[in-house]
Amino acid sequence: MKTPVVPSPTDSPPRRDTVAAVPAARRTRSGPGRSGHRISRHLPFSPWLFAAPGLLVVGTFSLFPFFSTLVNAFTDRRTLMPGKFVGLANFRELIHDDMFWTGLRNSTLYVLGVVPALVILPLLLAMLVQRHIPGIAFFRSAFYTPVVASIVVVGLIWVWMLDDRGLINAVLEAVGIGKVGFLSDQWLLLFSAMTVTVWKGLGYYMIIYLAALANVPRELHEAASVDGAGAVRRFFTVTVPAVRSTMVLVGALASVAAFKVFSEVYLMAGPSGGPAGEDTTLVMLVQRVGTGLTGRVGYASAISVVIFVVTVALMLLVLRADRKEDA
Amino acid sequence: MRISRRAVAAAAVVAAVLPLSACGGGTGDSSGGSGKVEGKVQGRITFQTWNLQANFKPYFTGLIADFEKKYPGAEVKWVDRPAEGYADKISADAAGGTLPDVVNVSPDLVAPLAKAGIALDLDKAASKYRKEYLPGAWQSHRIPGMEGTYAFPWYLNTGPLFYNKTLFKEAGLDPEKPPTTYDELFDSGLKLAGQSKGKVATLANVPTIEDFGRYGGQLTNEDGTGFAFNDAKGIELLTRYKELYDAKALDPQALTATPESSGHKFLTGSVAMNPGSALDLENFKKQAPSLYKNIGITDQISSTGKANMYVMGVMVNAQTKQKPAAVAFAHYVTDATRQMEFAKQVAIFPSTAGSLDDPYFTEEDGTDVTRVRVAAAKSLKTAVNYTPVLFSDQMKTELRNQIAKALQGKQSPKEALDNAVKACDRLLQQS
Repeated sequence: MKTPVVPSPTDSPPRRDTVAAVPAARRTRSGPGRSGHRISRHLPFSPWLFAAPGLLVVGTFSLFPFFSTLVNAFTDRRTLMPGKFVGLANFRELIHDDMFWTGLRNSTLYVLGVVPALVILPLLLAMLVQRHIPGIAFFRSAFYTPVVASIVVVGLIWVWMLDDRGLINAVLEAVGIGKVGFLSDQWLLLFSAMTVTVWKGLGYYMIIYLAALANVPRELHEAASVDGAGAVRRFFTVTVPAVRSTMVLVGALASVAAFKVFSEVYLMAGPSGGPAGEDTTLVMLVQRVGTGLTGRVGYASAISVVIFVVTVALMLLVLRADRKEDA
Repeated sequence: MRISRRAVAAAAVVAAVLPLSACGGGTGDSSGGSGKVEGKVQGRITFQTWNLQANFKPYFTGLIADFEKKYPGAEVKWVDRPAEGYADKISADAAGGTLPDVVNVSPDLVAPLAKAGIALDLDKAASKYRKEYLPGAWQSHRIPGMEGTYAFPWYLNTGPLFYNKTLFKEAGLDPEKPPTTYDELFDSGLKLAGQSKGKVATLANVPTIEDFGRYGGQLTNEDGTGFAFNDAKGIELLTRYKELYDAKALDPQALTATPESSGHKFLTGSVAMNPGSALDLENFKKQAPSLYKNIGITDQISSTGKANMYVMGVMVNAQTKQKPAAVAFAHYVTDATRQMEFAKQVAIFPSTAGSLDDPYFTEEDGTDVTRVRVAAAKSLKTAVNYTPVLFSDQMKTELRNQIAKALQGKQSPKEALDNAVKACDRLLQQS
């Protein structure tokens, strides 16, 4: 094994252009002294050592399951049985599986229903609570509370409220509208779950918008006002352009989360996925097919791969739309 | 930073091989019955029960202490898992190789474990104990298409049907004469819905595979390797249920109901009848005292004259390192003495031969408790386990969803059951 060559303090001084490339602050603190040489001696391994804990976590909990899922998608693996390679059989089966198409339809509808609401409503809410008026901190906290509440607790509360004999139906009956089957009608159930998702996500995205709104120069609003622009005009010509990149970010985050929805629908529609399974989403299908003692891990992995591809496509679509706007 | 090619290649190999290794895991011994079971009973074993710790902690603690006293070299660690997600917990443990040595199971749970070679074949490993149990109970843990028996039979139950006497009275029905057959159930249901103008439903759930069995339909083919609940009886049952659904005699949320939500509906007086267990009675007492005073308890609805029997079992992990101790403990938990003691703690019935002839199960003392106990013990002698051993959770969902489509009128009862049988057969072939 070769002994590493350690530069000595008596070595020739570094070239002037090399010194110039080092940031000034760093030059004044370390310089080409003995300690600097000690660091450079371990340089090939040090970055790996620093990165090791992070790499280990990412590798174990993200990369390994990801590649494992990818490989399983091409096998007929079951929960308790090792699988064998089956090529594209799982993907071919997907095409003929009605429940897969139901899941894809519901997940897509979820994105279409939830994302516009989660892009626009939190912005309006942020503009409301941005104002410095007495007691506004209370409202900011109140709007944020659903974000920190457990989804299971929140889901159950909504189930009780929307139940056939729940609070909302009691009110509707009292005002003469009559009972509405929020939890028994396929479409109303999906809409109710979307409402819960929007209600729970409002506070989170509101905080993101508050940070963005704080960076909008006040002078722009003042100038627009001087030019005679009203509140609505200023919203579209000043606020929206200023927070557009944040809206894109919120859109991307919300669409990925909406496509992967599970908890809200599972809690409200039940494990069977609503009446006749018509409210099943793709992630619910993965859970149903892939878990349990007779779970079809290979087939569930194939559905997961489809979810991954669609999710990445959604992200790319949003980012591409953003780039087009920039151009 | 420069990364050597060797490091990149190593990372690529690891990334490619690790997932593949996940696929090749397997489950070891597939014979399910090999390994020495004779020998000194010693070593540390783990025993897993199914939601029993909350109510029966002293019983199990005492049982374990007695076992450890009998076998000084043995040590038993007891773990209890909640009812919710029990199958998933077993599944995760079995896949991860961490399944306890002795596990409380039901026949449908033991089937996939036996197929994977995780459940010990007791016909090979513990056949000497076979004569201690009722023949039907011992056979309840046999798997169609496989040789062997994969769990000791433990306690049996038929599960009562609760009904709300007040709602019966309000509908003009005799609260002392609840329906006992499906025909009577449908008549009562339509009357209840009519009298309450659709506000009170009779049931909160759609029919299950056990309902088809109790109605007199055929559930599986002769050797249990295919489903057959789409016969004339099955179609007739579903047609009658559709009448109930249309008349609002089934709760509007029945299509998405879970046992928990059905129980909640019964507690709030939305539905008049609900199947349950002896433990539910305690819940009614605590959570709905006014309902408790007006609760009626009757046998399960059956048109065959036979009740559905729920069988619990105790399985031995074929991969246990302490096989003699695990087999000895599983037998100890389920032997006649221990089962009799347990039956005196809660309304369950022993699966051991001769136990049901004990005066405890044959003589009434004039109280309701003994009346129900004696009647249930009598019905157990002819009861049938209507849950097919190979009927998995995915199959239950398929059947439920097809039934929902029939009730909504999206397809005829025949189409629904044909589709359900087709889907269940496909799942069976894939398992």
